Amino acid sequence: MKILIAISSKEYSEPTLDVGMKISRELNASTTILDVGEKINEFSMKDVDLANEIIESWNIGRPGMDVLEWAYFYLIENDFIDSNAVEESFSKKILHQKSSNRAEIHLEGLTLERLNLILRNGDIIDELRDEVKTYNYDLMIIGGSGKRSMAHDFIQYIESSIFIVNNFNPDKNYRILLAVDDSPGTSKAVKYGVRVSQAFGITVDLILVSKSGEYNEDSTFALERAKKMMRRCGIKTEVFLKVGDPVLNIVEAAGEDHIIIMGASTQSPLAKFFMGSKPLNVIGKSNCPVLIVK
Amino acid sequence: MLGLSARSISNILFWATRKKWLILSFLLSLSSFYLPSPEGLDSSGHRILIIVAVTLILIVSESIPLPAVAMLILIMQVILGIDTPDGVASSFMSDSVFFIMGSLMLAVAIVSQGLDKRLALFVINLTGNKTWRIATGFLAISAILSSFIGEHTVGAMMLPVALALIKNAGVGIRKATNLSTLLLFSIAYGCAIGSIGTPSGGGRNVIMIGYLAEFGMAKISYLEWMKYAYPMLLLEIPITSAVLWFTFTPSQKVMDSSVRKLKVQVAKNGKMTLDQLLAIIIFIAVFLGWVFLSPYIGLGIVALCGVFLYLSFGLVEWKQINENTNWAVILLFGAAISLGIQMKETGAALWVADQILSYLQIFFQDIGIVRWFTSVVITGLLTNLLSSAATVAVLGPIVLDMGGDPIITGLMTSIASAFAYLTVVASPTCMIIHSTGLITSSDYLKAGWKLFIISVVLLFLISHFYWPIIS
Repeated sequence: MKILIAISSKEYSEPTLDVGMKISRELNASTTILDVGEKINEFSMKDVDLANEIIESWNIGRPGMDVLEWAYFYLIENDFIDSNAVEESFSKKILHQKSSNRAEIHLEGLTLERLNLILRNGDIIDELRDEVKTYNYDLMIIGGSGKRSMAHDFIQYIESSIFIVNNFNPDKNYRILLAVDDSPGTSKAVKYGVRVSQAFGITVDLILVSKSGEYNEDSTFALERAKKMMRRCGIKTEVFLKVGDPVLNIVEAAGEDHIIIMGASTQSPLAKFFMGSKPLNVIGKSNCPVLIVK
Repeated sequence: MLGLSARSISNILFWATRKKWLILSFLLSLSSFYLPSPEGLDSSGHRILIIVAVTLILIVSESIPLPAVAMLILIMQVILGIDTPDGVASSFMSDSVFFIMGSLMLAVAIVSQGLDKRLALFVINLTGNKTWRIATGFLAISAILSSFIGEHTVGAMMLPVALALIKNAGVGIRKATNLSTLLLFSIAYGCAIGSIGTPSGGGRNVIMIGYLAEFGMAKISYLEWMKYAYPMLLLEIPITSAVLWFTFTPSQKVMDSSVRKLKVQVAKNGKMTLDQLLAIIIFIAVFLGWVFLSPYIGLGIVALCGVFLYLSFGLVEWKQINENTNWAVILLFGAAISLGIQMKETGAALWVADQILSYLQIFFQDIGIVRWFTSVVITGLLTNLLSSAATVAVLGPIVLDMGGDPIITGLMTSIASAFAYLTVVASPTCMIIHSTGLITSSDYLKAGWKLFIISVVLLFLISHFYWPIIS
């Protein structure tokens, strides 16, 4: 499994990094931490490169590298990386430009096979999409602050599952709210729900919402399957059957102490583009972390 | 749908949303192509204006790479039947393009000499350790250097000095403070006001000189240009410095320890090497060439002589020049100049000039004011959206067709195109300081609007009271 954690600054990205690394560790995933720096326009690209070269020769560190440096030391302090294997200093000359807008950090003397630090420059949607597409990540983890307007583009164009770490508090005891319906995405969401639940030892609430008050055969079947799966894996579950608008009910049931897990919409991309989708509206309205499984 | 998978549709949608401006400009050009030509404009003029509109949309929206825009300009000129392939090719290359190419290469050659540490020491020795003196010193030195060498070189060399000071001051390098904002803007705005000083201060000055000569309107020498423009530069230094200080007053009034640390850091560098000395001598020779030889052999050829010397003395490798020269900019400016020349030749420039004059005369009775408003205010605003050289390349033929003294109009346009205070994309130096992550887009507006207005007023006063005396 490959996980991508997108961070932006030490002020805002701590919860994202923390929960992202916990998930990676529990799922034993290979992990990439990525910072997307300012977009440089083409008129000035070479001038900025030239300036960056001189900055590096002054040993000041390229803009954006300090975020990765902070992330690296955060991982050491919080025992995500074995501190015995760690170099003392984060030399500024470890940045290897792989292409015009992508650079990798190489730390000497340290085997970080399963952890990469990447710095990219450009438009955030373009860069994240390209990174996910080129390196085949299964899950992208990103903070929720200020990103709500971008949620639409993330859901629409990024091909991996997406975990939006919105309003996350590491000290809180979260439960999982697994949204079940008759769509094909549900079974994947249930599998993720099981993995996350087992990894963190937290309980799962299943929610099924009907607009009309009647639950069709496919959706009750999906619910039964989900319950069976949870039981087989020894996960404690509670079931909520609701009537009304699915998005509002899911958001209300989640409150602030759940992590919502739901399947991505399987509508056609055009329909999603023009009319939005359930996952998108849940992200827009909820006040807790949301995992959209693709 | 059409047998396409959801994934392909998603890819197409992504492309369409990212390229919406490209699609829009295509539709716009197609529909306006079939509109009848407006009165007073013949069909080739009509078509050249379509190319201008497409170019502007594509540059501002950044939806396709700049070299692609450049090629589109050339392709459309031939396909729309405005000129023959050979005609387009010959208007594409000119001494102005040689100059832009040469000066970008000179920048690489100079920056790679490692003179930045020496420059740092020079600045610090000159300013001492009071913050206001350091900021003013940064501004003044950036301005004076960039008036000769060009702003991209100076911006790249001054930035690490500022960052080292900020870092030594114990302020986090990621966290913006008034101190970091003040120092970085002193560099960016210093470079902007410096670039007006001489023809070699920026490619746009040379483009304007090229237009004046090409259209047979006037010839202006290096020293004459300085006589007109340098006083404005010198006046702007204290004014800009004061505006920046009062907009971003830092809490640290003295930077004693950080200056000391910087000196220690720089002192390790040792004595000046022979190569560095030679590099400076070559640059001085280039400068003298611009002053004394350019009337005979052109500014661009002098710049290329400099590049030739740097390469032949082995002071810089071709590989370095090749990798660090922005070929996209060279292609684009070549194409934009060719577009400008066609605007003039097809009469499109004159037509647009007439339209602007007749509309603006509704607001201002005096034609002199209208001319001034267009060449200064519109240029100043457009330069903040496009790049300054592209602005001059496109607007130059129009303002020169408005009548009046071409030297005055040309100079005003060139100078106004340096009022790049308001946006990140206004100039390479603005982008360089933004790339540090310490300056946000809204910071540009905080001091920028004051400087924009002050510069416009100052240019008005200088062009009305000082220039008539010397011309």
